Amino acid sequence: MSPAVRAFLRSPAGLLGVALMLLVLFAALSADWFFPRDPLSLAGRPLQWPGQNPRLLLGTDNLGRDIAGFICHGARVSLLIGLVATVVAVGLGTLIGAIAGFYGGWVDDALMRVTEAFQTVPNFILLLVLVAVFGSELEVITIAIGVVGWTAPCRLVRAEFMSLRTREYVLAARGLGVRDAGLIFREILPNALPPVIVYASVVMAVAILMESALAFLGLSDPNIASWGNMIGAGRSVLRTEWYVSAIPGVAILVTVLAFSLVGQGLNDALNPRLQAV
Amino acid sequence: MQTTRRQVLVAGSALAVAGGGPALAQGPVPAPQRGGTLTVQLTSEQRVLNPAIQASTGVYVMASKIVEPLVDLDAQGEPVGVLAERWDGSADGLTHTFHLRRGVNWHDGKPFVARDVQFSAMECWKKILNYGTTLYQFLEAVETPDEHTAVFRFSKPMPQGLLLRALPDLGHVIPAHVYAGTDIRTNPANTAPIGTGPFVFKQYERGQYLIAERNPNYWRGNGQPYLDRIVWRFISDRAAASAALESGQVQFSPYSGLALSDISRLSKDARYTVSTRGNEGNTAHTVMEMNLRRAELAKVEVRRALCHALDLGFFIENFLYGYAKLGTGPIPSSSAPFYVPRAAPYPFDRAKAERMLDDAGYKRPSRGAMRFAQPLKLLPAPWGEYTVNFATFIQQSLREIGVRVEIEARDAPGFLTGVYRDHNFDLTTGWHQYRNDPAVSTTVWFRTGSPVGAPWTNQYGYDNPAMDRAIDVAATELNAMKRKADYQEFVKLAVDDVPVHCAVEHAFISVYAKRLMGSHNTPRWSSSSWHDAWLAPA
Amino acid sequence: MKRIGVLALRRLAQSVPVLLIILIGLFLLLQLAPGDTVDALLAQMGGGDAAVAAQLRRDYGLDVSVPVQLGRYLVRLLSFDLGMSAIYGKPVASVIFERLAVTALFMSCALAFAFSAGLVLGVLAARRVNGWPDTLISTLGLVFYAIPSFWLGLMLIVLFSVKLAWLPPGGFESIGEGLTGMAHVLDVAQHLVLPILSLSLIFLAIYLRLMRASMLEVMTLDFVRTARAKGLSEGHVLRRHVLRNALLPMVTFVGLQFSTMLGGSVVVESVFSLPGLGRLAFESVVQRDLNTLLGIVLVSAVLVIVVNFIVDLLYAKLDPRIVAR
Repeated sequence: MSPAVRAFLRSPAGLLGVALMLLVLFAALSADWFFPRDPLSLAGRPLQWPGQNPRLLLGTDNLGRDIAGFICHGARVSLLIGLVATVVAVGLGTLIGAIAGFYGGWVDDALMRVTEAFQTVPNFILLLVLVAVFGSELEVITIAIGVVGWTAPCRLVRAEFMSLRTREYVLAARGLGVRDAGLIFREILPNALPPVIVYASVVMAVAILMESALAFLGLSDPNIASWGNMIGAGRSVLRTEWYVSAIPGVAILVTVLAFSLVGQGLNDALNPRLQAV
Repeated sequence: MQTTRRQVLVAGSALAVAGGGPALAQGPVPAPQRGGTLTVQLTSEQRVLNPAIQASTGVYVMASKIVEPLVDLDAQGEPVGVLAERWDGSADGLTHTFHLRRGVNWHDGKPFVARDVQFSAMECWKKILNYGTTLYQFLEAVETPDEHTAVFRFSKPMPQGLLLRALPDLGHVIPAHVYAGTDIRTNPANTAPIGTGPFVFKQYERGQYLIAERNPNYWRGNGQPYLDRIVWRFISDRAAASAALESGQVQFSPYSGLALSDISRLSKDARYTVSTRGNEGNTAHTVMEMNLRRAELAKVEVRRALCHALDLGFFIENFLYGYAKLGTGPIPSSSAPFYVPRAAPYPFDRAKAERMLDDAGYKRPSRGAMRFAQPLKLLPAPWGEYTVNFATFIQQSLREIGVRVEIEARDAPGFLTGVYRDHNFDLTTGWHQYRNDPAVSTTVWFRTGSPVGAPWTNQYGYDNPAMDRAIDVAATELNAMKRKADYQEFVKLAVDDVPVHCAVEHAFISVYAKRLMGSHNTPRWSSSSWHDAWLAPA
Repeated sequence: MKRIGVLALRRLAQSVPVLLIILIGLFLLLQLAPGDTVDALLAQMGGGDAAVAAQLRRDYGLDVSVPVQLGRYLVRLLSFDLGMSAIYGKPVASVIFERLAVTALFMSCALAFAFSAGLVLGVLAARRVNGWPDTLISTLGLVFYAIPSFWLGLMLIVLFSVKLAWLPPGGFESIGEGLTGMAHVLDVAQHLVLPILSLSLIFLAIYLRLMRASMLEVMTLDFVRTARAKGLSEGHVLRRHVLRNALLPMVTFVGLQFSTMLGGSVVVESVFSLPGLGRLAFESVVQRDLNTLLGIVLVSAVLVIVVNFIVDLLYAKLDPRIVAR
């Protein structure tokens, strides 16, 4: 692992990504310290421009909320949703991919049809359906985003399992009478995971983008400080007070950029063939 | 580039002042000109164009140009005959006779006769029309002694004033020869209406537009209607709607169809009139409703405390750009025949609100902690900026007095089932529209006995026998003065018990190009027939 | 070529059970939703009592059990009948068909732009690997990938519609101007510039990175070295050998990403008020128009399958190995 770490540290993309990620993390962790008030509360007159009021660094939105505080508290929401949704997507994908890849045959066939079904329906439309059916509480949205995103990790894991299941060490373990569950989770999975972990940063970036899009359409949980929420709210004052939509967009951009850069860095580090070029 | 608050507020109050006087009457009135196409922007479309089975401004704004009522309101807000020329009522209030206009033809060429009124009243208004099913509950029969007389017989007294004020909304006449013997709800004429009005239905593309063209044989004659064509375009995105208006593609946006920020911006633009004039007959309250099934809210002191926590002045100035005023009770100040001036009942007083909650037994467990064990669940009505922003404002305000509110945003069907059928809410916001008489549109909110699931009724479980009595007495009182007095008892009970807080009163805002003339000259102009509207050259 | 046809057809046949899984799954899912079509209709009508609601439920066939409703739906599907849209009052097929043209035009333009721009930028970056154009292009690619499309759309509106007034802020065409011929084409093109930019930038970033990576990979392969050794010109090697092979993963990706792109159109069409399929999907979720929503999911699934079928054929045409086999 250590050469990989060194490779990662040599990648400028990875380093920049880590730096940006730390910035977002700092905003999230320090939110209560710098902005102890509820981010949804009325901080002053609505639509004060950034800099107009020294107390409100980035101004207020059209609901009178402090944009700076909203951005910092929003970082928590985005990171939390991104993280949990990624765990759900990767967990679900890994489980299904492992079973399909391990058993093959009709099990694989059936599970792959289901996977294809999920891949064929546009993710975002499926997400809309899930939210319309189960509501837009934070928990529901987070799980729904995970549920629409499991197919790519699933295919990755399945491919790894298919190549690993006939390896000698697996066959040896099977010969020793290790059960299927043991083979899957203890023998094969640890070796199948690294590419999935690299891919997880992409899943996380996509999850954050999806939540913000959902909030933008007014379908996310309105009781949380979600960046997309503020972009959507700012839409009605876009012609005059465009900063209300602009500022949270920059926050999303930085966060998603951080995760893609880290993903890129990991990829560079673990994929030496491209590194050589 | 940036608009200061102050400018906006000045514009807002100037508008409120201008709204009072007849803006168009200043200077010599130019002679109307024939021709031209009026394009109207609508935020949403109702998919029924039959005002005899569906009472809603969203229907009237289109269909009332094609289908006409017996009676409408004139510039002073007094009933004026449309398809009825005149009327008289018996002293006991049980019989009302309408003498119908002669020489009126339906758009398909058949003559308009008393049978059409009989059919519309008995089959549509009484059986299907929302609000109508309550209002015409005691309508026993409509008799037609001759082709031009319709006699309405009631089994309980119906005040003439109430009937006449209800008819502009709940009195549109549809052709019996088209509807009789068919399933009224699914009759194709519901989306391709045949009427007697100044404009003839031409084409309806759902989600896009509706077109009606000039009726050359309109009964008013005198060159009316002046317009060649009316096009209603459905533009839900508010930014796109204001862009359409500014590029001249659209000349009129009724019923507060634009974002308030755009409305305030356009009010400073010399090309447009931005006004509440012509909408006085469609006043609405933005309300906070409280579900009495929730233990804390069952206590009237708690409800009152919550009302005191709202700084409505701040809300009106900063969120509604000044286009509103404080509500004083369920009957709005615009209702001249029934309104008695009174102060806003729950002035903003945060300390008092906290004290009242303390006294009611809901002390904060510790400093800064929340008072109720469970947060209040607030379902915002998805009717646009007013109701949605008000929900956020309630959430922000109640937090200050130690009451946590959780908003659950739902789409329209989810909202209606959640609130009216399942009663699965603690707080909700809404728009209560007032339609000329409390018995038409307002008392239904406070009376018991509405079926569960019927939208826009008493869904908060409010039950006060004194209130039911007051409502019933007023509804059958024939003496106009006494009726007005009766309704003050109703208002007092409604305000004291406050199951619903009529927080903000506002007329709808019309935004239209100055070249749209002959418009906004009656109290429910957007819902009227537009027979005398015309366009000055661009 | 016959082989390819059989291969592609087999894949097409595989998609039948996939479609069935989608339909049944969605239908059952929507049964769990609060409020049905009739509730939506009543909301539109401004109310109605329980008897009205019951009558409407009978009219729309919602009064029978769920399996029967599902069975009826599937049977009707066999005759290409997607049912009636309660909200639009006409057959779902025609509602969707009206919106399909807008989305088809929008998607193909966005796809073409993302693909060609990604290709050109990817090639440029790969030719000067680690030089300043590569650094610039790769950085831009990363930034593009991180920009939320709806936000980009809003910012483009602020800049190009509000501040500069160069392009319309939304809509598909100027309504009521009766434009025909070239003027109409130009008008639509003007309306589509900003939406295409908003939707395609993220995919452009993906194609760019993919193209760069696969170019770099192909250039190290033996046959390219052989070609170079044979003394063929750099341009010739690039066009005939490298590009053709490097395109393969790109083409595969068009198929893989098409579904994502269709999903992305929901938000972008909503930002720009484009009367397309994506916006219809959003509207029918909000209006709980079950038939229309099922129809859209079906149609978009079919679109995805068809696009992947075409991609299969293209792939076979491009990949010399498959033909040789």
